[in-house]
Amino acid sequence: MLNKLDRRQWLHWGAQGLGATAFLQLLLRDPSLRGQDTHESAHGPFPNFPPKAKRAIQICLVGGMSHLDSLDFKPALEKFHGKSLDSSEQPDIFFGQVGLIRKHDWEFRQRGQSGLWISELFPQIAELADELTIIKSLVSDSANHTPALFFANSGFQFNGFPSVGSWLSYGLGSINESLPDYVVLPDLRGGPNGGSSNWTNGFLPARHQGVVFESGPQPVRDLFPSQPIDARTEADTREFLRLLNERHLEDSRREELFASRIRSYELAARMQLSVPDVVDISDESAATRTLYGLDQDRTRDAAMRCLLGRRLLERGVRFVQIFSGGPIAGSPRCSWDAHENVLENHMAEAQKIDQPVAALLRDLKQRGLLADTLVLFTTEFGRTPFTQSSADSVGTGRDHNRYGFSSWMAGAGLKPGVTFGNTDEIGWKAVENPVTWNDFHATLLHLFGIDHKQLTYYHNGTQRRLTNVHGDVIRQILS
Amino acid sequence: MQWSYKILGPGCGLVWLAAQILYAQSPSFELSSSHPKEDPSGQVNHAEPVEQLIARKCINCHGGEKPSGDVDLSRPSVIARDDNGRVELATSRLWEVVRDDLMPPEHPLSADEKAVLREWIERGAPNEFEPINPFRFTTDHRAGFDWWALQPIIEPTVPSIVDKTRIRTSIDRFLFPELLEHGLSFSPDAEPRHQIRRLYFDLIGLPPPPEVIEKFAKQPTDAAYSAIVDELLDMPEYGERWARHWLDIVRYGESDGFERNGPRRESWRYRDWVIDAINQDLPFNEFARRQIAGDVLCEDPVEGVVATGFLVAGVHNTVVGASKSMQLLARQDELEDLVGAIGQTFIGLTFNCARCHDHKFDPVTQLEYYRLVAALADVNHGVRTVRSRMDTVLIEELTQKIVYLEREIAGLEEPARQQILNRRRAGSMPLSPGPQPIASWSFDTGLENTPEMLGVKVVGDAHLTSAGLQLDGEGDFAITEPLAFELKEKTLEAWVQLDDLDQRGGAVISVETDDGVAFDAIVFGEQEPRRWMAGSDGFSRTESFGGSLETTGDEVVHMAITYASDGRITAFRNGEPYGTSYVSSKLRAYPTSSARILFGLRHSPGGGNRYFKGAIRRAKLHDRALSPAEVAASAGVENNYVSPVELTSELSSESAAQRWKWVAEKEQFFVERSKLETDSLIASYTAVSNPPGETFFLPRGDVLSPGAVVLPGTTAAIASLSASFELDATADAAQRRVQLARWLTDDQNPLFRRVLVNRLWHYHFGRGLIATPSDFGFNGGLPSHPALLDWLATELKHDGYRIKPLHRLIVNSTAYRQSSLLDDRAQSQDAESRWLWRKTPTRLDAEVVRDSILMISGKLNSARGGPGYEDVAIIDQNNGTTYYQSFDRDDFLLDRRTLYRFTPRGGRSALLDGLDCPDPSTATPRRSVTTTPLQALSLLNNDFMIRMSESFADRAKSNFAQELDGQIGWMFQMAVGRLPTEEELVAARELALAHGTSAVGRALFNCNEFMIVQ
Repeated sequence: MLNKLDRRQWLHWGAQGLGATAFLQLLLRDPSLRGQDTHESAHGPFPNFPPKAKRAIQICLVGGMSHLDSLDFKPALEKFHGKSLDSSEQPDIFFGQVGLIRKHDWEFRQRGQSGLWISELFPQIAELADELTIIKSLVSDSANHTPALFFANSGFQFNGFPSVGSWLSYGLGSINESLPDYVVLPDLRGGPNGGSSNWTNGFLPARHQGVVFESGPQPVRDLFPSQPIDARTEADTREFLRLLNERHLEDSRREELFASRIRSYELAARMQLSVPDVVDISDESAATRTLYGLDQDRTRDAAMRCLLGRRLLERGVRFVQIFSGGPIAGSPRCSWDAHENVLENHMAEAQKIDQPVAALLRDLKQRGLLADTLVLFTTEFGRTPFTQSSADSVGTGRDHNRYGFSSWMAGAGLKPGVTFGNTDEIGWKAVENPVTWNDFHATLLHLFGIDHKQLTYYHNGTQRRLTNVHGDVIRQILS
Repeated sequence: MQWSYKILGPGCGLVWLAAQILYAQSPSFELSSSHPKEDPSGQVNHAEPVEQLIARKCINCHGGEKPSGDVDLSRPSVIARDDNGRVELATSRLWEVVRDDLMPPEHPLSADEKAVLREWIERGAPNEFEPINPFRFTTDHRAGFDWWALQPIIEPTVPSIVDKTRIRTSIDRFLFPELLEHGLSFSPDAEPRHQIRRLYFDLIGLPPPPEVIEKFAKQPTDAAYSAIVDELLDMPEYGERWARHWLDIVRYGESDGFERNGPRRESWRYRDWVIDAINQDLPFNEFARRQIAGDVLCEDPVEGVVATGFLVAGVHNTVVGASKSMQLLARQDELEDLVGAIGQTFIGLTFNCARCHDHKFDPVTQLEYYRLVAALADVNHGVRTVRSRMDTVLIEELTQKIVYLEREIAGLEEPARQQILNRRRAGSMPLSPGPQPIASWSFDTGLENTPEMLGVKVVGDAHLTSAGLQLDGEGDFAITEPLAFELKEKTLEAWVQLDDLDQRGGAVISVETDDGVAFDAIVFGEQEPRRWMAGSDGFSRTESFGGSLETTGDEVVHMAITYASDGRITAFRNGEPYGTSYVSSKLRAYPTSSARILFGLRHSPGGGNRYFKGAIRRAKLHDRALSPAEVAASAGVENNYVSPVELTSELSSESAAQRWKWVAEKEQFFVERSKLETDSLIASYTAVSNPPGETFFLPRGDVLSPGAVVLPGTTAAIASLSASFELDATADAAQRRVQLARWLTDDQNPLFRRVLVNRLWHYHFGRGLIATPSDFGFNGGLPSHPALLDWLATELKHDGYRIKPLHRLIVNSTAYRQSSLLDDRAQSQDAESRWLWRKTPTRLDAEVVRDSILMISGKLNSARGGPGYEDVAIIDQNNGTTYYQSFDRDDFLLDRRTLYRFTPRGGRSALLDGLDCPDPSTATPRRSVTTTPLQALSLLNNDFMIRMSESFADRAKSNFAQELDGQIGWMFQMAVGRLPTEEELVAARELALAHGTSAVGRALFNCNEFMIVQ
């Protein structure tokens, strides 16, 4: 039953059936046309040094997860609960309302061998504390969602800059012939603020853009004709196209541009074969399905995407980005943007992803993939220790906090079971080893064997970098 | 002297040298002697001056704010000294490290260079050139004032060629010797069909009709060819094609970007302006000036205001957040976008790189960046509503006719009026009842007297007494039904008794929009105690009348406020003028069915000081601004107002008829004028000029620690022009931009012309003579054909900055018309065809692909201009982020040329996206051309492609009925400009018979021969 449901969601083009597969395989019979498109990648000697990570998967929590209720334990909040923030500054938050301080809504406990403090918000992820590298001192330049999200994704607050996945694709090239380098799996409830600008190739060549995989009839846009074309027609048409192109190639004395276009149709056919294969999870065991939470309504969307993420990584996709949370605006909230009520909002959001993300970590580990795979669990900013309410009350919601927040990483090349940096006594501002997104990105590239200062692309007057003109590798968290 | 460059090659280290030799003819350029070794002329070698040597080799590290090791070589005479302050070679540390090859690290000086330094130290290290301006010389790392692109354009001599067989235009004369030099030559002319396809796609972005190809193939003469060129340049499709290039360069997008990314509904006016300007071949300097300062320079307001849409074509942050620093930062970001756009678009300088520090690569200082900011600081994003000069004249003419008729009518009425007034004064006639209102309310006699269309509902404890509508000032008010007419000009009137003289802000009568956002009202005591005022939303139409103070609440007062079409607002108390009238910003119009009248409440929602305390006896609403006499009549006080009814009865029947005729004529003109006043308004998303205020230097770009005030100006990098605008810090905003526009487009600004001609070359050949069309600084490198570049720039000036003559020069050249076929020998010499031994094949642009497919399939909707077609669903998340979801639909309205696509940032289309159509979030002076499997998938499977394949087949069938070979032949001709070979025909026939002709169409739309111009 479950299998059927999955197949309906992800294999709607079943009308093409086996015939389609057969013709695609036919198309691939000519060995002279094999090979991959290698141009349009960085010229530099990348990786610059032996990489620790070969691939990465990022869970991107949209809206701003409260570090105070999850990863950054502040016992002092209990003491200060109901007191006012002792400061005369006008903080740069979003709504400008500074209420009284509120203690965390979830109990914190020390976990595992490492004794990391993680709250009950993520009970299953907490069990894997010994795998995590928690950064508790992230800071951002913006307390607005879209610029903060762009900043986290591309190192710039503005539209039009290439995202992390695009830079990796550009720098390292492809490690598979039949799938994109960079795949994006948005929340079923919709894309994050800024939509496709979050996974744009910006000024890098188009082949480095994030490719969205969606559930529904076409996991990748235009993968198959939207109106079914029967397999025979398809095969004959492509054969005829090949005839036209082959003759033309000969007449043109084998012009490279023409040859590469022919190859691109070849690669397209490969993709038509591999995408259905990767999204068809019928070969996954019942235990795996249960592990990820495919059998529960609450977790199904994230479970499907986490599992798909693992399958994509296994097949050579370089970077997978999973969004937790859809658009920011709207009611009821469908992201982590808990202005009204952290307890209700975060509980609902966490219950969707806790099990699937924990399962992903376990699964990668048990398959031996975690050794050279990075798992990133990030959010664009944190939330304030005081509530978003009138100055004399303890409200239930928290505003945006760009001055200090937490994320975790796990896997390749990292010291597991440690924390890095810290915020002040109440979790308001990063005071110990503040980490900018530029630092975060520099570290990420470093793990991939790339010197972030050397990965550049000329655009409108300057050699652009993912890290702008900043960024220091956080050596303390490297193994 | 272009040979010097060739011999030296493009190596970075020789950049300065090449530049200096090439531009040695320049009189204003301070030249040093040429390099001792590489001088190819064999003349006597001169040594490089020591300051140049030091600038080139040392200052990059040992200079600036933080010189490496605290050794500042901008004053080398200091460093050359030993510890005792003496200059001696033996003890000079400077000499020691250079002699021993310790400095410069890794790239020690050559023996000749060392000799220069040694000789200078031996002379006692004279310091006449200190400090060395780090921008003066081009170094291995950056461009200086001597950078080639900054030097004046000197018209190069056109090389004379002995063998003229391959020479068509002067362009060929410049290219041919270079080819020979490299052992190359032009390829033979391309096949006629390729030549014609090139021209069509290049100039108008659409495929050629097969007849044109056939005709030219029969007689491929130069004359026939250039006749086709002329024809294409005259087609409106030419402007549509080339406007697309310009819109790429200027980062044109139709949404705000950032978080909200709201759509811009009025941007297309600028897009249309660009198309028209290009079609008319508006001289390019004028084209540029209008985009920068058209609002000041153009006589016609529409032309000028629409053109400055360029300034705000980029992104705009509409969600800035609450804090001051974020607001300041957002503004500085916006100005950076603007300064960057102007530098890159018009002169290929990346000014924006100098916001936080001096430019790292080009001789532009941070201070100069802020001078440019000061020159542009009045520019803000917004919508401006303007009217053309012609329409203004028409409106004035109508006004004159109206005034004339009014005078005639008054003349005719005057005797009768006097008679009536005389009788009135004698007491034999009653006072005039006053003008007829559009609605009135007599609260003292009950609500029944209210005309039905404006029924009143009472809220709170408000109730009617014989004194009128009684209001307690704490929540009572009355509200009418929506207005069933549009209200523009108006008069509000009320008879009222104040229960509290110290109340502050209640309104007697108010007209407001449904949402309470806009309103006009008679308000008491809000801004000034005890005085009446014309209340309005955000006081946008409120000024003090300075009328008398109310002193008693015992009597009924008649208050009236008139709102005239020119924005004039006048108040009357008891029929007499109340203080002085004023002209407000603009008359506010209230649309039909979404406005209403309030009594006792200033505007919705209720609350605060908005309620009135007292009694409203009666009230009236007029749909025009009454004259003083009419107000007095309405107020029932002594006056000289005579109503039309009174007048007609006094006039002879003949005069009365004449009067009615004139009144009717006047009414007609009035209606015409009001329609024209509305219809002629053109709303355009463009630059709104606000007072710029002072501009401050921001060290490290930090908005929170401003430095000194900066005057408007520009960079001194172009020595032939003054960098000062001779304006002070308070200079008129508009003058600043005018000065900037003049500086940019000056005949003496070499970059302006070089950048433009290079752009033309780039679009015609797929690569510019400089490969980075918007960057002529250090990162742009050296031109492949410097003399040709400057010759084209000279031609541009000779042609009055018109572009069509340059197109002709280029596309009529042998270089352009030659074949693109590969040649093994030439390929091994020059794989990239840098010397133009062949024309490089180019993939069609995304827009051209879509437009051509539409045209071939017979579906192209050729409607020009106006609001764009929208193939995106716009999903606005409660005023949060706006999402744009692209869709495909079989809809004639969507089948327009892609240039007319509504182009929000981030709202990309699968098909266009795959073909490298850029997102307009940043400028795209050079599109990347990629070949990806996703592109192939889109071209195969996108709904649009499937739909068009079917239309293509239908069209073939309707042209050739049952004749399959005819259909196939025609399809090949349309798509690739030739008939199929026998093999192709057989295969196509087979495919069509088995799966329908549309399968043939689908394959043709995907094949290389269609997608690529050879």
